[in-house]
Amino acid sequence: MRRRTLLTGSLAVAAAAGVSTAAGSVAGTGPVITVGSKQFTESWVMGELYAQILTARGFQVVLKSNIGSADIIDRALRSHQIDLYPEYTGVILQTFAMPKSMPVTAHGTYEAAKRFEEGRGLTLLRPTPFQNRNAVAVRASDARKHGLRTVGDLRRMGRISYAEYPDNITGPLGYDAIVKAYRLSAMKVRPLNIGLQYPALKNGDVDAADVFTTDPQLRRYDFTVLEDDQAIFGFQNVSPVVRRSLVERYGSRLTEPLDAVNALLTEKAMQALNEAAAMMRLSPAKVADRFLRANDLK
Amino acid sequence: MSSALLAAAGPQPVIPDFGTVSSCVRDNGLFCVDWFTANFSSMFGPALVQHVRLTVIAVGVGFLIAFPLALLAHFRRRLVKPLGGLTSFLYTIPPMALFTLLVPVFGLSVLTAEIALVSYTLMVLFKSSLTGLGEVPEEVRRAGEGMGLTRREILWRIELPLALPAVISGLRVATVTTISVVEVAAFIIDQGLGSPIIQGLQSPFNTQFIGAGLLAVALALAADGLIVLVGRLLTPWARTRRTV
Repeated sequence: MRRRTLLTGSLAVAAAAGVSTAAGSVAGTGPVITVGSKQFTESWVMGELYAQILTARGFQVVLKSNIGSADIIDRALRSHQIDLYPEYTGVILQTFAMPKSMPVTAHGTYEAAKRFEEGRGLTLLRPTPFQNRNAVAVRASDARKHGLRTVGDLRRMGRISYAEYPDNITGPLGYDAIVKAYRLSAMKVRPLNIGLQYPALKNGDVDAADVFTTDPQLRRYDFTVLEDDQAIFGFQNVSPVVRRSLVERYGSRLTEPLDAVNALLTEKAMQALNEAAAMMRLSPAKVADRFLRANDLK
Repeated sequence: MSSALLAAAGPQPVIPDFGTVSSCVRDNGLFCVDWFTANFSSMFGPALVQHVRLTVIAVGVGFLIAFPLALLAHFRRRLVKPLGGLTSFLYTIPPMALFTLLVPVFGLSVLTAEIALVSYTLMVLFKSSLTGLGEVPEEVRRAGEGMGLTRREILWRIELPLALPAVISGLRVATVTTISVVEVAAFIIDQGLGSPIIQGLQSPFNTQFIGAGLLAVALALAADGLIVLVGRLLTPWARTRRTV
């Protein structure tokens, strides 16, 4: 068992070394940091922000964008394929830690997620002011007609359908959890890939949809986001997850630039960055570059 | 707001002006030529080159493994079933599952992608090579022996040339298949034409899907045509026979 772990570890390191050599994009003589990001716009932009600020501060950075699900990127971090990546505080608890009850504040969520990661030899740096939470949206016309304010008000609409992405039907933020928490027994699920829920809701194919609060697509249509007064969606600020040994080795040289970027990421700022990338279709690299320059960080 | 608890009076960000875009881009038109051409050199061009490289390595390495195995099975018939079974087994593993299984061992690397891609080429290349080698009629082989040719000479002068058309058709299938499986490899490495497609899934943008898709189709057609052409040059007798 032990031998097997060692073998796997050395192969993984060899493979990682092979990749960074092959990438060949790193320049300079500073320490090498590999930044990862997940498979959606907001994560690409944040990965670019981290990579570019660290490059500007003398690190050699390899950016591995587009890494699978939370599980895959977490495994990549723990097997030293990447050194850090942006993660949502609530996701860390809901996906990995799975506590019996969720914290009731953003701060509590961050602290609990940080404690959990430190138990695994990792840590969280300072979180962003913005959150990207799941939320339930309806057409504004329906909200007016039926007087909808909270998710529970959906009961007034009777038999309705709810757009949910396939990964999130049974989870703690998913369809089943909403039905249970808000007693919405007349609401049926309609599985749809992420991104398709917005046009489906607009066209009347569904009556309510799981949306993301910082997704610029949300603002393209005339939707109303319902209040989650049962607080089932948790708190989702973003923080870089990084191995503790790296923080000990580089200290503020590593943490200060990342903290500086994170501090600027208010909800308004993140929405603007997401919109530039997702709606104006500028590359995440360009979006991050302009933001860092505008804020004198580059 | 509870989020304010975390943002202890931080500096206010400056939001830069990101300029303007065409109405086709903003309204997600069917195919925005302006955006496609503007992003060709930064997005589609490199993805196409990576796609070609991943495919060539996969089919090349796959052939270097499958062809000797086919030769081996050709001479040791009892190996046909186990080797055929192994390559078929590899072929049936769903790509996403194989990529994910290999990641903890070989990392999020080109190596992981290529191991998976190569294993999908083996069945087609093994079977086509073996079929080609077996296509030589028994009487032709016996005639060769009667002329005093050794087993090695029969292989080189008779069996290998006659196997070529089958090998080439195997290469065509393997190449076209690989070109489409490479799209899935973008789930673990940010390379190839699957990369812009995956990147477009979260906020759908037609031009990105259609652009990458069309390039993959064009690449498959071009690669297939190229192999047919090379095959014709290598087997001039086949053409003569057809025209007679």
